[in-house]
Amino acid sequence: MMMRKGSKFWALLAFAALLTLAGCGGSGGNGGNGGNAGSGNASPSASPSGGSSEAPSSGDGKAPAASVKLGIMWWGADDRHEATLKALDLYSKQHPGTTFAPDYMAWDGYWQKLPALAASKTVPDILQMDAAYIQDYVAKGVLEDLSDLDLGGIVDPAVIDNLKIDGKLYGIPLSQNAQGIAFNKPALEAAGISLPQKNWTWDDYFAFAREARQKLPKGKYGIGDASSAWDWYNWYQTGNGGKPLMGDNGKTFTLDKDLFVKYQQTFADLRKEQAVPPPDKSLSFVENDPSADPMASGVVMTRGATTGSVAALYTLMPDQVDVVGIPTGPAGGGWAQSTIFLSVSANSQHKEEAKAFLKWFITDPDAGQTLKMTRGIPINPDIFKQLEPTMEPKDLIGKKIYDMSVEKALPFYSIAQGFTEWVDTYKSTMEGVMFGQTSIEDAYDKLNKLGQQIAAKNA
Amino acid sequence: MAQRGRNVAGYVFISPWLIGFLLLTLWPIAQSFYLSFTDYSMLADPVWTGLANYRHMFGDDDSFTKSLKVTFTFVLFSVPLKLFFSLMVAMLLAKNLRGMNVYRTLIYFPSLIGGSIAVSVLWRNMFGADGYINAILAWFGIAGKGWISSPDTALGTLILLNTWQFGSTMVIFLAGLKQVPQELYEAAAVDGAGSFRRFFRITLPMLSPVMFFNLVLGIINSFQMFTAAFVITKGGPVQSTYVYAMFLYEKAFKHFQMGYASALAWVLLAIVAALTAINFLVSRYWVFYEAEGGREG
Amino acid sequence: MTVRRSKWVVHLVLIVFSLLMIYPVIWWLGASLKPLDEMRLPAIWPSKPMWSNYSDGWHFSDQYSFAHFFSNTLLMEVGNVFGSVLTAALVAYGFARLNFKLRGMWFGILLLTMMLPTQVTIIPQYILYNSVGLVNSYVPLVLPHFFGGGAFFIFLIVQFIRGIPRDLDEAATIDGASVYGIFWRVVLPLVKPALVTVAIFTFIWSWDDFFAQILYLSSVEKFTVALALRMFIDQFEIQWGQLLAMSLLSVVPSALMFFFAQKHFVSGIATTGLKG
Repeated sequence: MMMRKGSKFWALLAFAALLTLAGCGGSGGNGGNGGNAGSGNASPSASPSGGSSEAPSSGDGKAPAASVKLGIMWWGADDRHEATLKALDLYSKQHPGTTFAPDYMAWDGYWQKLPALAASKTVPDILQMDAAYIQDYVAKGVLEDLSDLDLGGIVDPAVIDNLKIDGKLYGIPLSQNAQGIAFNKPALEAAGISLPQKNWTWDDYFAFAREARQKLPKGKYGIGDASSAWDWYNWYQTGNGGKPLMGDNGKTFTLDKDLFVKYQQTFADLRKEQAVPPPDKSLSFVENDPSADPMASGVVMTRGATTGSVAALYTLMPDQVDVVGIPTGPAGGGWAQSTIFLSVSANSQHKEEAKAFLKWFITDPDAGQTLKMTRGIPINPDIFKQLEPTMEPKDLIGKKIYDMSVEKALPFYSIAQGFTEWVDTYKSTMEGVMFGQTSIEDAYDKLNKLGQQIAAKNA
Repeated sequence: MAQRGRNVAGYVFISPWLIGFLLLTLWPIAQSFYLSFTDYSMLADPVWTGLANYRHMFGDDDSFTKSLKVTFTFVLFSVPLKLFFSLMVAMLLAKNLRGMNVYRTLIYFPSLIGGSIAVSVLWRNMFGADGYINAILAWFGIAGKGWISSPDTALGTLILLNTWQFGSTMVIFLAGLKQVPQELYEAAAVDGAGSFRRFFRITLPMLSPVMFFNLVLGIINSFQMFTAAFVITKGGPVQSTYVYAMFLYEKAFKHFQMGYASALAWVLLAIVAALTAINFLVSRYWVFYEAEGGREG
Repeated sequence: MTVRRSKWVVHLVLIVFSLLMIYPVIWWLGASLKPLDEMRLPAIWPSKPMWSNYSDGWHFSDQYSFAHFFSNTLLMEVGNVFGSVLTAALVAYGFARLNFKLRGMWFGILLLTMMLPTQVTIIPQYILYNSVGLVNSYVPLVLPHFFGGGAFFIFLIVQFIRGIPRDLDEAATIDGASVYGIFWRVVLPLVKPALVTVAIFTFIWSWDDFFAQILYLSSVEKFTVALALRMFIDQFEIQWGQLLAMSLLSVVPSALMFFFAQKHFVSGIATTGLKG
């Protein structure tokens, strides 16, 4: 509140100065194209609420009185941008009076920009969300509760239940996603190594690494070193019947000491046996980089991949990639669910219109035909059936991961609010273990302490 | 001129900066100071927490101590290296030779690609496990390693990268060298002074204001080094390149602790301001301003 | 004879040194012409150069080609460079030569503004610009350059002005020049090399100021080159060939700017000025 008052005063002062400056700049600027920045934006500043919905004055004069302009923001690659823009046009045609102010960019920029929009209370009406971030945004009240949106017959109710945070739905799932492992089939066959089988166990997985060590030349490895990846360990702990690391939306924290030590000790042994790459090699891998990807560079025979991301790997090594699920334990393994959503801003002035659009986005057949697979395998089975004949090999392999995983899948555990810091600490601490600077015991103490602290703060 | 007139003239000249400072810069700075006493996620309004951020920083945050250590090491090596290297190159490039503008541009080129994403790919190809450095070492029968991904050498490669991009420091030296009056060299030549003598008696003193500038700015900028660590090493491995600005950025935009990040920023400001003040005090003994009549005589 | 020989030695040193510095860039050029499956090979040059990386990258989007993004960026740069050069010397002269009240304090504050990392001021600044309705425009990117161009440049020119002998000012004062006259006729011509460096650095540094640009420019129509380049990098998939090709092209304007501007900062104007 203090900020707001202060900001108004300074804003006014700054604005006065800008006007003076603009005056000095001469009147020529307003006539030409250069004026669009100034004139287009000067008017909303008069209305104090600001917000993402601009005055609908621009352009079409014959729009009905109830015309609405919805702000919408997403991340992605160019094919997604162009398909989405077409879909927005389609919606405007089907629903005269609704137009859009689209804002789209790549992944990194998206998550750098969104905090600024949230801080200035100008989050667009509709925004794409990812499982990695949604909990933080929900916890801070940025997103609107969408529980009353009826998705019966479109999305499996079990899927919806799984996505609820504290009993409420904050994002409409867009596509199927699942975690699996990609492997280099021709290389494994050539070396005579038995291929990973559906529902393989963690013991199978480590045995596979040792078999590969014996049959592969020096400098090539069956599996990568997953000591410093928190999600791998979480799969191990939950697959073996343990609680998830972050439970109850971050209010509880469980790091099972026995399982943790066993898992980390196994990798320490594998490092000693040279069944996984040495640490300096492991940490130089960059996934999906043609020269530094663990698999595409030919160094490691397997690596983690999801339905949504495997296409990138497939592009790097066409026709060599096959997939299997994450190793399972007695309780199951891996996950299979949506991780990409559309949400509505809690500050939106047009929530009902935004919700109507969300529903349309995953149900309308023409929308589905326009959007294709640009956000992965559509969550809506009808749309998926409609698109299935057009699937390319790189889409099919993503679908295969889903099919491989869904039977034994455990819930998807995203990073709970406040736990990003713990995840980063896990990575750097376990890197210390990999290089022999830290003992597994010390790492356990440090990680357990920090996790408990964060959980206590959330409770 | 009367003091009054001088006051007016002074404020007239600095008014562009002063107005900009009061309108655009002061409020965000004041805000960040206020926020350093709050818990602020950016996604929701800030909550006043008093000195909690500062207490946590100096109390039990290992990353704070670690990143300070990394940053001081970086500054200690990269500032002198870059200063020395860019001065040597500037002397070389100040000569009047045919084709010099081409040499200058080629040598400046690496500095142009500073923040580009390509630089991370580039650096991996030089210092990665399969990089060129290792290929060269292999000729001599030395087994290389992943220089960027080993905790004991990662920071070193970033210092090298920083030195490789010496362009802007060098250009400032170059402009400074061209400001040295040629008569001084001619007079010294008449006196029979050798090139070493000329360097230490003329070039260095005449260049000292520019040298001072490069030193002060080198320290300020090195303490805020971010891009290379962010794009190439992500602060790893084992936090060995976890420089202060990287730490601060992650706190702010990854962990949503903008309040804590603001506190970190103000502590950094205090450290850098103290070092700069010392620099200014010491500069009296070695920086030679022609305008002030030259204390060194 | 010895002069000529030493000249050749200098040339040789320069050539070797230039090659060493530029080598990674040659690698970059090679990589930008490689098809994806050759990217991991150590060979510096592709077996068959793929120039389509350049043409496809240039037209990567159906809506706008890179020509559009380049012209956006250049337009912004004109404002930035003009603003910095125009105001940096004025402010610097005030700090370097005029003895006004509170000068020390203001100069100290000027330096302090450089020491606070922008990561913590950028959000309040965004809120400020948003409250006057100036987001999604170039104003927040260009305007700051008109206020002295930033502490770095002001301090830089201050140091250059302090290197100019005061005798020149005094001579001009005796001739009846005011402080404004001295600035215009004596100081400004003498700091021209420094002003050229201000122009070069402003140009180069605002070219890839990604963070500010992504915050303040929302519609793709207004995108700069730096923003357009990031469109090649998605969460998982990166268009490597096109990315490397376009980012190499993106540094060309800065390189040209440097090439053509350098003769001004090494022209030795200071010397002739001294004699005059």
